[in-house]
Amino acid sequence: MNDLLLDISEVSKTFVRGGLWSRQKIAAVSEVSFQLAARRPEILAIIGESGSGKTTLARMILNIETPTSGKLVLDGIDLAAIRNSAGRMAFMHKVQPIFQNPFESFNPLKRLDRYLFMTRRRFSGEAGEGAAETTVNHALHKVGLSLKEVRHRYPHELSGGQLQRVAIARALLAEPKLIVADEPVSMIDASLRISIVNLFKTLRDELGISIIYVTHDLATAYYISDRIMIMQKGRVVESGDARTVLKAPQHPYTRQLREAVL
Amino acid sequence: MHANAQSAPAPQGAQPILRVRDLQAHYRTSHFGVRRGVKAVDGVSFAVNRGEIYGLAGESSSGKTTLIKSIAGAIRPPLEIVGGSVEFAFLPGYGGLHRAPPVDVARIRWRHLSYIMQGSMNVLNPVRRVRSVFVDFAYPHIGGSRKQFEQQVIAHLARVRLDPSVLAAFPHELSGGMRQRTTLALATICRPDFIIADEPTTALDVVVQKEVLGMIRGIQRETGSSVLFVTHDMGVHAHVTDRLAIMYAGRLVEEAATAEIFRNPLHPYTRHLISSRPRIGDDTPREGLGGSPPNLADPPPGCRFHPRCPLATEICKREVPAMLEADTGHRVACFAVNQGSRP
Repeated sequence: MNDLLLDISEVSKTFVRGGLWSRQKIAAVSEVSFQLAARRPEILAIIGESGSGKTTLARMILNIETPTSGKLVLDGIDLAAIRNSAGRMAFMHKVQPIFQNPFESFNPLKRLDRYLFMTRRRFSGEAGEGAAETTVNHALHKVGLSLKEVRHRYPHELSGGQLQRVAIARALLAEPKLIVADEPVSMIDASLRISIVNLFKTLRDELGISIIYVTHDLATAYYISDRIMIMQKGRVVESGDARTVLKAPQHPYTRQLREAVL
Repeated sequence: MHANAQSAPAPQGAQPILRVRDLQAHYRTSHFGVRRGVKAVDGVSFAVNRGEIYGLAGESSSGKTTLIKSIAGAIRPPLEIVGGSVEFAFLPGYGGLHRAPPVDVARIRWRHLSYIMQGSMNVLNPVRRVRSVFVDFAYPHIGGSRKQFEQQVIAHLARVRLDPSVLAAFPHELSGGMRQRTTLALATICRPDFIIADEPTTALDVVVQKEVLGMIRGIQRETGSSVLFVTHDMGVHAHVTDRLAIMYAGRLVEEAATAEIFRNPLHPYTRHLISSRPRIGDDTPREGLGGSPPNLADPPPGCRFHPRCPLATEICKREVPAMLEADTGHRVACFAVNQGSRP
């Protein structure tokens, strides 16, 4: 048992743009370090404007992007050391993503229940249709849906809020310890948004899943997160307890963001 | 946040600049003999007064974009105006831009009626410099010598705090905020009577958003234009609009002065929208709303909100509630509210 669920130290990511003579380096993330404790699940909000590097950081935690320098360790797994598919499976068992636009994260020609059954088949060794249905139904129940509503349905038949719930249910099938949610509610309708946000709280409290919530919306971040990290131009400018940071921001950029909330 | 509480409604008795009466705009398709109809706008009536910012709030698929298209006369199949009228004070007698002769529409476009759209990249031609875009849009309406025109453009760009150098730039060379400010300058340079703003700040970062909203408000005060401001973001509405209408599933459900909507929302849907907004410094848990927005191809009968409504009774399932005045200037379409049994 590790003490740290996620240990990020001095992680940087530089993108290089242009050809041989017009090389331009863009530091998307520079020297970011933070930790998540394993014993106490929490919701960490990463806040920043577009171009602040928050999505790049999230993608590095998900191992979609490899850091230029620095080290990411997730529950004892060094992300740089993952070489084969078995390693990747073990990694995906621990961390799962939720993306911004549920209409884009699902293939419009693929039925939703197939996603759920395929994910379950990949992550659990157990066989048998009956057992699979029970597990999938159980995961859907956790997000307030049931297999009856999802079976044989295509993505366009569900609302954005329902689809995002299916995406969360799919992530839960892997029984992860960490969910990285990149702007999970910004494409969701106002009347459905708050129930998705509340669902994240439930996941933390009842299932003990830590959540990294990437957003530009200070108000929802205040509402659900325990800890907050403000990023500007690839650097963390302020971090700490969500209530303290947002009630009494110290850094001028945080103050600017705080004042821009309508 | 109720900064607009004191902003006066238009003078009494003044002719509204836009009057929409019982507008019905449907999408009708017929594929392989299968007819489908989507009642995207179904009986919407409202009026926008001179010199006010009229807000329209609604979630996706509530029909707000269809409503704007109908008002702007951008009717293309499968969209059809099935009934009702849209009357601008500067184009009387036709009952809608789509019925007016093209010559008249070309005359009033940009001079009297202009637009600020969400994706500024769609407005600005990507292969033309900003200077040419201004010439294309505004020069025919302003006239005079090209030199004078350019001076006027530069003076107007200064209002949105843009440097004259943007005139030589291509749209992709500008940041999102600069592009949206360019679009704003483009939409207001002819001092139009009416501006349709469709989600003008949704794609912008929060800090830039507040700046652009302030500019829209400032220019509107200066030119006295009326603005139809459409966004799903209630925070933006609280910040800029004078009056606010809430749309749900193709119909208006509530309309009142913005401050009044936030202080005293009456319709259960509006109440949910306002009470569920997370606010910094407020730790009370928020309740989600069950169900999901109806499919407009097959909307529920009666009040379209009844399947999700905590106050629904038998009558809501059968009959459509009318927009009735619950208070002076506060209209609401809800049986529970209009019968006096306020929740």
